[in-house]
Order: sequence, then C-alpha cells, then structure tokens
Amino acid sequence: MFGSLYLPLAGNGINILLLFGLGGAVGFLSGLFGVGGGFLMTPLLIMAGIPSTVAAASDSNQIVAASTSGTYAHYRLGNVDFKMGIILIVGGVIGGTLGVYLIKGLRAMGNADFVIKITYVVMLGVIGGYMFVESLQSMRQKPVVAAKRTAAEPAKVSLYNRMVQSLPYQMRFDKSGVTLSPLMPLILGVFVGILAAIMGVGGGFIMVPVMVYMLRMPMHVVVGTSLFQILFTCINVTIMQSITNHTVDLVLAIILLLGSTLGAQFGVRLSRRLKADQLKILLATIVLIVMVQMLASLLLTPDLLLAHKGGH
Amino acid sequence: MRRLGYVWQRIATILGLLLLTIPALVWGASLDLKVTPDLVEIGAWFRGHRVTVSGMIPPGAEAVMEVVGQTSDEHLMRKGRRGGLWMNVGEIDIHNAPSLYMVMSSNPKLLDTAVSEAPWGFAALKRRVTLSGMIDDQEKPQFFDQFLELKGSEGLYTTFKDPIKKSRAADDLVPVKGEFRLPTNVKPGTYEVCLTVIQDGQVSAKTCGELQVKMVGFPAMLTTLAYEHGATYGILAVIIAIVTGFAIGFLFKGGGGH
Repeated sequence: MFGSLYLPLAGNGINILLLFGLGGAVGFLSGLFGVGGGFLMTPLLIMAGIPSTVAAASDSNQIVAASTSGTYAHYRLGNVDFKMGIILIVGGVIGGTLGVYLIKGLRAMGNADFVIKITYVVMLGVIGGYMFVESLQSMRQKPVVAAKRTAAEPAKVSLYNRMVQSLPYQMRFDKSGVTLSPLMPLILGVFVGILAAIMGVGGGFIMVPVMVYMLRMPMHVVVGTSLFQILFTCINVTIMQSITNHTVDLVLAIILLLGSTLGAQFGVRLSRRLKADQLKILLATIVLIVMVQMLASLLLTPDLLLAHKGGH
Repeated sequence: MRRLGYVWQRIATILGLLLLTIPALVWGASLDLKVTPDLVEIGAWFRGHRVTVSGMIPPGAEAVMEVVGQTSDEHLMRKGRRGGLWMNVGEIDIHNAPSLYMVMSSNPKLLDTAVSEAPWGFAALKRRVTLSGMIDDQEKPQFFDQFLELKGSEGLYTTFKDPIKKSRAADDLVPVKGEFRLPTNVKPGTYEVCLTVIQDGQVSAKTCGELQVKMVGFPAMLTTLAYEHGATYGILAVIIAIVTGFAIGFLFKGGGGH
C-alpha cells in the first residue's frame, strides 16, 4: 500500500522508493559536480513511466531544492562567487529567451528535432571528451607533454588571452581570483542560455566547463557558483511551466527533492575530499556515457516508430 | 418500376436487420450486467483497481466483455531517419481512439485478430480509428499496429488472456464473470463496460453499463490548483523546494565541517 504514490499531474502511480532513490543518486552528482542533473534525471523519469513534459518540468522544481541545498553548503564553505554568478544569470536569461525563439523558428521549419539531437551529441561529446583528456593528462602529470603542447600552440593561447584582456571594463572577481571584463561571463552566459533552451536542460554541465576553461575559475568555486546560477534558472522554469503548461507535478517533485537534497549534501562532502582533476574526470565520464547512450538511440532502429510529443 | 423494386428491396433489408436486432434488444434487458465497483476513486495511494463485470448468458453461448474509454484525438510523433540518424520527423494525428480499451472473452478464439469482422477487439478498433498527418495511405496499417503497441506498452490497450469464467447454469441462464485490472495511469472519466453474447457465431445480444473513474482527495485538490491557479501553484512549488533545500542544508550544518 505504502510503496506506490499517485502523481496527479503525471497521471500515474509510481513507487516512492524508486523516486527517492533516483532523486538521491542525481542529487549526489549535483552536489559533487555542481550540475543540476537535468540531463540525467529527465531521461530516467521517462524510463520510469512519467510523461516527458511532466518529467522535465517537475525535474526543474526538484533542482530548485537540490541547488538551494548545494548552494547553501558551498556558501558556508566560501565557494560561491555571487558577482560572477549574477552576471552569468543575466546572460543565461537573455540567452534562454533567444534560444526559445530560435527553437520556435526551427520547429516551424521542421528542423528542430534534428538540431536538438545534433546539439546534444556534439556538446556532450566535445565537453566530455575535452574534460576527460585534459583531466587525464593533468592527473598523469606529464609536464613534458604539457610543455610541448604549450610550445606548439603559443599563438592560440595568447590570442585567447589577448582577446580576454582587450575587452573593456576589466573587473576583479575576488572569490574566483580572476580579473576580466564582465562582458566575458555575460556573453558566455548568453551562449549557455541558448544551448540550454535548445536542449531543454538547465545547462549546468555546459556551464561548469565554460567556467573552468574559459573563465579560468578554480573548480571548487565553479561548483558553488554553478549551483547558484542553476537555482535561479530553475525557479524561472518552474513558475513558467506551472503557468503555461501545468506540467509541474508537485508530489513527484517533493519526493525527488527529498532524495536529491540529501544526496546533494553527501555529494558536497565527497567533492571536498576529491581533487579537482578527479572531479572533472568523473563528470567527463558521466557526460560521455550519456553521449554514447544518446548516440546509440540515434543510430539504432527504435522499437516503436511512434512516440508522444515532448520527448527528444 | 425498376426504381420501385429497388425501394422495396431496401425496405426488406431494413426490416431484416430490425428482426435480427430484436433478440439482441430482448436479451439486452435480461443480461443482468453488473459492474463492481461502478465508481473507482483515484486517491493519493491509487495503485490501479480491479473491476468485476458479471452477467447472465444463455447456455451454449459465448461472451465478450469490453471496457472502453472516451474517444479523443491524439497527436503523436513519427520517427524516421534523417542523415542516418533516427529522430521525430513529423506528426501523426490519431482520431476516434478510446483512451482505454480492454477486452476479454469466454473463448480466446473470439479475440483472434483473424476474426476481422467482429464488432469487438483490435480489428474493430482498426475500422473506427483513423490516421492523418504525415502519413501515406499504404503506411496506415503499419502505423495503426505501432499505435496499438504504444498503447499496449502503457497498459492502456489490453487483451486479457484469462477468459471469462462461466458458472453452473441457474434458471436456464449461465452466470459469467470477468475481472479487469484498471492500470495506475487510467484517466478520470466515464468508461463504457459492455457485455456481448455470441450464439452460433452471431451476436445475439449486447448490453452496456457505465464505470466512473474520479480523482478525489489530495490529488484532486492539487490538480484543481495547478490548472486554475497556475502562478500560485508555481510559486508554492518553488517555496516548498527552497524551504526543503535550506532545511536539509541546515540539518547537515553540524556535521558539515571540512
């Protein structure tokens, strides 16, 4: 009797322990890596029998709880750069709005699904692959290779540095320990916002590598700041989805968030014990696994040639 | 003269059909169809529900029982290959498809898909349901089968293997009983429950009753709030999430020193 709970907006009954376990596992990863976990949770919920539109919207609601818990934990540890986070949020909102219009136009032309699928595979592949190789090299501590690479690509690195330094309004971000123009995180925020809107996710797994590699922020500040940014993105999505589509299932979200907030706390604790490179290589592995699974679903003939609207 | 002959022919056909229907109408009244319970409530702990359908049929007859949901149009996506990749390539609209279709019989042969003229079963659905949108005429049978498979995978279209149970005859009638299990994803609404009697390979009687499925208690309250006060619902969802996030964070504060 107690095992199954009815989810009114999803219109289905589902095992509480299964939901709690899913929430806990994804919340753990959220606290560990500073990602919202939407790119993992939504497909898992769909597999558990939740309609895709309800899965995505309710997941945003539970991410609000997980990222509140995670941001609070990281704030206590001094790992949140609020100044950087607010600029990224502004960029993310602008980018998200542009992305929504872009997807609307593509849908009208009938190319939306193709663009979404390709964007997913390319972004997951590039980010996961780059993080994996970079972390592996860093863990193996091959200074010779690193030196050779630096010597072979001096123009590329200096061009990027020159470009970053040439931007106006240079500003010091104390928590992150970097000095750069606020235009930089603003533009990157717009870019991530566009991708997040196209892919229908919070964008944490794109934002984390952007902060590490393009804004040169230390990994532990990246995780806390990313969670802070995701919190605001998901608050916006939850309210918008509730008003326009009525797809936020509060019962589903509460069970998931109880699991995810607990999981996030354990994730944050473990993140302090792991080195930055270990964190990066773990995240890279998960991103690559999701990419391979998605690529396989694109290449292999599906069991059914009909699907409900809303899924990718 | 020729036209008059044609009219007489039509009248004779109609009278013939009416005569064939009379036994069905007479028997329809005495089939004694019972649906137990006739009201299923979806509460917070709803896990699906068993519904028993019972009735009386003449000795030697066979029975078919159906539970049919309200019909509506569904908009689904068809998958196809573009540039070597599988993805959604267009919309297919399914018209007149019931939200739920369950069928069982006293003789499994009656549900054989080869019996395509029968007014029950998936073959009968195929005659009622139409497909439109990004689909050619020759593709329609294939995509109807895909539709059945999709609904079957969701537990909404089912052919029950357990046949209808027949008891010992009483008062020259045989009591029949069938048990349907409504799935957890059954939608609230009115469902038609029908008992069809088959004698000598022909439908001799049919009677239908109603089954109500209603959302009650907390799920009903939440659904009303979500649909009628979307903004309040959204803000409430965010507040609950933030408070829970802080509460859990605060609980872990004591042991969180690193």
